[in-house]
Amino acid sequence: MVNSWLELGAQKKDTPVKHNYSIFRRNCLMGIVLAVLLMSGPQRSWGQSEKPSIDFFSGFEVGLYDFYFYQKYNVVFNLTPGFKWNMGNHWQLAGQARLTVINQLSNDVRRFYPSMLVLSKELKAGPVYLKGSVGAFSNSRYGFDLKAFLPVTPWLAFEAQAGLTGLLTMAGGWGMSPMGRFTGTVGGDIYLSRWNTQLRGVVGKYVYTDWGFQAEAMRHFNHATVGLYAKWNNIAGQLGQEGVSLTQSLAKGMDGGFKVTIMLPPYKRTHRTVNFRPASHYSLTYLVRGMAQYRDANQLYYTDPEENMRDGWFSRDLLKWGSHTMEPDFIYKGKEETE
Amino acid sequence: MKRIKISYILLAAMVLLPSLSHAQQYNGTSGFLHIPSAEMSHEGDARMGVHYLNKALLPDTGFLFQGEKYNTYDFYLGITPFEWIELSFTSTRRKDTRAVTGEVGFWRKDRYASIKIRPLREGRYHPAVAIGFNDVGTTAFNKERTDVQLYFTNIYVAATKHFGFGGNELGVNLAYRHYFRNYNDKWSGLVGGLSFRPAFFPQGRAIVEYMGNEFLIGADALLWQHVLIQASLIDFKYLNLGLCLQLNMLGKKYVVAER
Repeated sequence: MVNSWLELGAQKKDTPVKHNYSIFRRNCLMGIVLAVLLMSGPQRSWGQSEKPSIDFFSGFEVGLYDFYFYQKYNVVFNLTPGFKWNMGNHWQLAGQARLTVINQLSNDVRRFYPSMLVLSKELKAGPVYLKGSVGAFSNSRYGFDLKAFLPVTPWLAFEAQAGLTGLLTMAGGWGMSPMGRFTGTVGGDIYLSRWNTQLRGVVGKYVYTDWGFQAEAMRHFNHATVGLYAKWNNIAGQLGQEGVSLTQSLAKGMDGGFKVTIMLPPYKRTHRTVNFRPASHYSLTYLVRGMAQYRDANQLYYTDPEENMRDGWFSRDLLKWGSHTMEPDFIYKGKEETE
Repeated sequence: MKRIKISYILLAAMVLLPSLSHAQQYNGTSGFLHIPSAEMSHEGDARMGVHYLNKALLPDTGFLFQGEKYNTYDFYLGITPFEWIELSFTSTRRKDTRAVTGEVGFWRKDRYASIKIRPLREGRYHPAVAIGFNDVGTTAFNKERTDVQLYFTNIYVAATKHFGFGGNELGVNLAYRHYFRNYNDKWSGLVGGLSFRPAFFPQGRAIVEYMGNEFLIGADALLWQHVLIQASLIDFKYLNLGLCLQLNMLGKKYVVAER
């Protein structure tokens, strides 16, 4: 929401209404094609998921915005109730809302508003794992998204993501732009199983028109993952501007920090058709520089309300790679291993 | 005078309380009291804590309010992802007047990241050796700039060796560290200290150290597997206190090593 003006400003200035409509119509057609492609996936992978169930859950968000020297923090505390309807065969419908409890950041945000509603499908096509999603994603984006993951060896994998999205927010009133923005990343992952340590590097084009790269190193512990990351983007790096050399651009555009993901108890659970539970995890990200040109850089969106760096994009029962080869965080009664 | 008495009581209480710690510093990494050591936390240890800092432990500028130094506190997160590296992040509160309301409080902060790497593990005949940086990013980019404050910025190399006798443990620590500004370089140079972990109380240890300009005496202890406390007196007068929650994310229990 904070970044909405970037999107809206660009769209209002450059794109006439008629042209917007044609983009919207074209993108809808692309979405239908994507859906048909996903539905025509190999049948053998469809039998791997569990029987249908629905989970209601709630987590929370804590934002400590260190913007001002003369104030400790601007605090934001939201509850994030949501649901996940596992329809079987790795089809899923998921939604989430935000209920603001404390907001010292902005007066323009509603107390309660829906933030995500996503239909997604995971499948295995040959050696490649695919996940297609359509709907309203996090980060106030809506549209289509396709993710691919290719494990080459137990320690090496490649990944790619492509999305076509627009702005959709209900945080401070209805805001929408046509799906005109392409995001795409490609990268590689190395997993050192002896230390449950993962190295990840991606380059890509991101939501706020920037492009750049990101490198992460994370170690997966029992029920927690801790990682360091560094990222660079062309906007903060002022790449191509007069008087800015490549070395200067690297220094200007570089930022980093640490990330922590803690899987929330209880770790032993009973799985029924309808379940009420806490959110799967709590995540924390710290950015050293933190100004807008860094904070908004290298941004994508989540297509699952419980997506996190520990579990990655795919379900544990479908993709056995990386942290999915560790002991599961959640043990369900009567089952050897499910997530 | 009363404050000094309370300080001695606290120190005495820590020594007498049933208390294995690998110490804590005010910045969430392992070490002695103020000086760095080559000791490392256990692989998987995570720390979250707060430390009361006496003004005597602060640099001579940056922590002045209306011309006088003041006591403050910091809080930190620390982790040991592998047995050879520790990382932490610290935020130290600074006192100032709030621009709009005029209210006096700890509104400002100084943040820094610390890293400690141990290339050489302690052996039977040789000490462990570690190198470290406080305020890593600032050190890398700004050490030549006079407009950037480097309150806690320093680099160091430390060597530590432990000796066992009768179930007790004596630690000998020697370090060389370098600060980059004249308001804190009184702590630059050769520093060192001794630690003693008694057989009857292996979760705790007493420490005495020379931090470059002052002497520091103190103790720390790990209670109930997870609560790390530390108290110290600078020049036998100025009290510092630390409280830290520690847990091992690999699920390991802290046990007393044979000595």
